[in-house]
Amino acid sequence: MSEKRMVDKNGIRGGAGLSAVLLLVAFVFQWRAMVPAIGAALAIGSLFGLRYSPLGATYRFVKKASRLSIPVEPEEEPPPRFAQTLGFVVCGIASLLFIPGWNAAGWTLALLVAGLQGLLATTGLCIGCEIYLYAQRFKAHEVQA
Amino acid sequence: MIVRILVAVAVSGATIALAVLWRRREGRFDEGSGRFTPADLGVVKIDRPSAVLVEFYGEDCAPCVTVEKRIGKIAAEVPGVQVVSIDAGARMEVADRHEVRRVPTVFVLDPDLRVIWRASGVPSEDAIRTALLGPDWAGRPSPNAVPRQRIAR
Repeated sequence: MSEKRMVDKNGIRGGAGLSAVLLLVAFVFQWRAMVPAIGAALAIGSLFGLRYSPLGATYRFVKKASRLSIPVEPEEEPPPRFAQTLGFVVCGIASLLFIPGWNAAGWTLALLVAGLQGLLATTGLCIGCEIYLYAQRFKAHEVQA
Repeated sequence: MIVRILVAVAVSGATIALAVLWRRREGRFDEGSGRFTPADLGVVKIDRPSAVLVEFYGEDCAPCVTVEKRIGKIAAEVPGVQVVSIDAGARMEVADRHEVRRVPTVFVLDPDLRVIWRASGVPSEDAIRTALLGPDWAGRPSPNAVPRQRIAR
């Protein structure tokens, strides 16, 4: 396997849990600004690398402040980074849908992101990462064909 | 407000239900079918082992490293077990023939390279031992069904 930048999977899960909770609370109180804010946080991780993600940084801060002994679980960066890109795109579309007042559609997408982030936080199952791996296999298939 | 709270609870509930289902499926050994050839395993001739553990891995796959460590450890414990790792991306035709949909996927083969068990995801060490040795390896019941006793002890 090739050498790639590693990230802490538990950090990604912690950040995902935080964003899921924030999106659910935002939905209950109709804080629409939270959706582009989460989208921006995902965009930072996607564009500059997951170590710069505000969600991951919050996880690291909470872990350090609470002296939690959660182990670092190294994982290669490309799949979760791709997943964050997908999250950013969906949050971006949701934010755009709020502008003409299509709130139901916007919140549906935001809740989809919340659900997937919640799934990642609770199980480690990252749907975006699975899509990335399928895409890699498909690409390799094309090259072999 | 109440409707929104109910929707948020429903989304959380659906997520938890999916999480529970996922945890039950993840790394679970199910009976497999089919047969590998020595060429599938990337060897011309294979010494007759008591069993073969085959791991399909992929690049960028962190859980594959965990599985590799686990099966390596268990293979060192159980005499005669041979371990073969196959890059699913590089050997697509083999992965497709054995219906490998995701990595890691682990196969337990008998000495004739017939598939006895297969598991997608990260099986626990106990589940791998049970798949290899049967339910009585430590006096514990099988985490899944009772394995067929086709693997030589």
